[in-house]
Amino acid sequence: MPVKNQIETTCGYCGTGCGLTIETEDDRIIRVRGNKSAPVNQGQTCIKGAFGYHYIHSEDRLTAPLIKKNGEFIKASWDEAMTFIANKLTQIKEQFSGDAFSMFACARATNEVNYVTQKFTRAVMGTNNIDGCNRT
Amino acid sequence: MDVEKADVLLLIGSNTADAHPIIANRMKKAAKKGLKIIVIDPRKISMTKSAEMHLPLKVGSDIALMNSMMNVIIENKWYNEDFVTQTALNFEELKQHVANYPPATAEVITGVPQEDIIEAARLYAQADRALICYTLGITEHHCGVNNVFDIANMALITGHIGREGTGIMPLRGQNNVQGAGDMGCLPNQLPGGIPLADEPYRNKIEKMWGREINPDVGKTQTGMLEKMEDGSMKALYVIGENPIVADVHQNHTTELFKKLDFLVVQDLFMTETALLADVVLPAKGWAEVEGTYTNTDRRIQRVRKAVPAPGNALDDWKILCGISERMGYPMDYDSAENIWNEVREVAPHLYGGMPYERLDRELSLQYPCPDEKHPGTALIHQELHAKGADRQTAPFTPVDYTAPVEMPDEEYPFTLTTGRRYEPYNTHTQTKYYPDTLKRKQFEETVDIHPVDAERLSLADGEYVRVSSRRGEVTVKTRVTEEVQPDLVFMSFHWNEVPTNVLTINEFDPISGTAEYKACAVKIEKLT
Repeated sequence: MPVKNQIETTCGYCGTGCGLTIETEDDRIIRVRGNKSAPVNQGQTCIKGAFGYHYIHSEDRLTAPLIKKNGEFIKASWDEAMTFIANKLTQIKEQFSGDAFSMFACARATNEVNYVTQKFTRAVMGTNNIDGCNRT
Repeated sequence: MDVEKADVLLLIGSNTADAHPIIANRMKKAAKKGLKIIVIDPRKISMTKSAEMHLPLKVGSDIALMNSMMNVIIENKWYNEDFVTQTALNFEELKQHVANYPPATAEVITGVPQEDIIEAARLYAQADRALICYTLGITEHHCGVNNVFDIANMALITGHIGREGTGIMPLRGQNNVQGAGDMGCLPNQLPGGIPLADEPYRNKIEKMWGREINPDVGKTQTGMLEKMEDGSMKALYVIGENPIVADVHQNHTTELFKKLDFLVVQDLFMTETALLADVVLPAKGWAEVEGTYTNTDRRIQRVRKAVPAPGNALDDWKILCGISERMGYPMDYDSAENIWNEVREVAPHLYGGMPYERLDRELSLQYPCPDEKHPGTALIHQELHAKGADRQTAPFTPVDYTAPVEMPDEEYPFTLTTGRRYEPYNTHTQTKYYPDTLKRKQFEETVDIHPVDAERLSLADGEYVRVSSRRGEVTVKTRVTEEVQPDLVFMSFHWNEVPTNVLTINEFDPISGTAEYKACAVKIEKLT
């Protein structure tokens, strides 16, 4: 028997904030529909909200950290990738100051991700060079 | 967002039906019940079908039009005298300023007949409740901030703010534009929507974090690009964004990214931007993570995990915490809820009353919601109507019309304006995976051109042409349509096969840093 589930969530495309219900079967999304009790959309969806989820299960998704060596991306472990970045950013911060670093934050990520993003930028890199696609 | 309670809606620079379809549905439904919609847009967008009036102004002439509407409103004494006397400052200055924009003058600048300017002014000013909604048609200009000031002037002169069915509503393009800014992902703002310059607030956060916060305002994206150009910006970390395709003057942006010593891109896909990176990190995305978004009318709503992410993809915040720990600053969160509770502690004035458990139960709460008894705040700026000791004031900010930086000329005779279409989303990295069986209107980019221009250039509908600007060129299919005015062409930037942003101009609003996506000069040539 396939394992079926229904999860209530909020659409990730435009700023309208439509409530959606995701139907899954064996850990794959099989359908997305509007949530009738959601205050913003009361069950309605547009084409993006209802059908724009197929990318999630695409074979093209990135699945491992990649470090470029001699112009080629080489798969790395998380520990290798995080250590590599931490060393490089520490070196840049020490040599040029934190203001030689910039962060492009993501207006499609959650509030929680954005909070951590600016905390990293301010508390770790010591700069306020943080902005996003908010303006476009 | 109470469009249902308004009598008049001024819809300016918003292609709502394509960019915010569900909000558009609500507007159309309200129009059937009597809402009068005035569409101010260079294109005959589909919202005009539900509109009382359409003012097809020339691209970038919004200030001339709004100043003229205020000129008419003052001349006819249609403004809200009580509100202006009690609440607004600088009225005399505004009055003198808009005196330079009589409808006859504005007709020449905007191309909108003066009787339509007068009628739109009357409808907006004399309505009991009137609302303004705008989108990037207002902000993506070299004078985007001034455009927004003029919208605020319109709301103040009529008192159409701070009451149900009135106000100013920017419709946000991404699900969490509002939230990203509120969380402090801006160069001048701390989490909680408080300016970096607010020292007591900054000190409070410093204590909580155990680290000092640099008091100097950071760079906007535009400012960062300038620093890349002069070589002083060494490292860039990009999360979930594809600026190589999304930003203006693509060839230039690519050169700047190549100058960086170190580029990290954290994304779901190997985007055009990721290809340039030194390290690419696989992130989890929508339906794979827990958290909250803040929508366009300040609603905090939960997002939930429905499916596992592929391979070793991690939560964005877990990746940042891993790097942070290796740089000597551990951030010990074990869940998104944990982070949210820290946000609530940092900014109780907005989110104090919104634990996950309450959001789960009530679906949606609008901030400010300082404590758990608070119902949330649907309407803001009510204090502008307070009298006596509670009286608050708001200044008019008079502004002048300035033409787009690159106007058409003999060599480049068309104005190109860019925007979104209904089906694809931004750089299409996600929506290109629609199933083939899904019925759609458009499968590739087009240059939308008026029949008069198409005939003059002997172009058939669907014929491929070369569109070029001073910065680059693309080959693209024509779509002959009366949606655009003569001498104006429209393109989106959704399909990377036709990178429209090689054409657009790197001119920016000096305050917001937003680029002038809405106007540049191009020529169109038949392919031989």
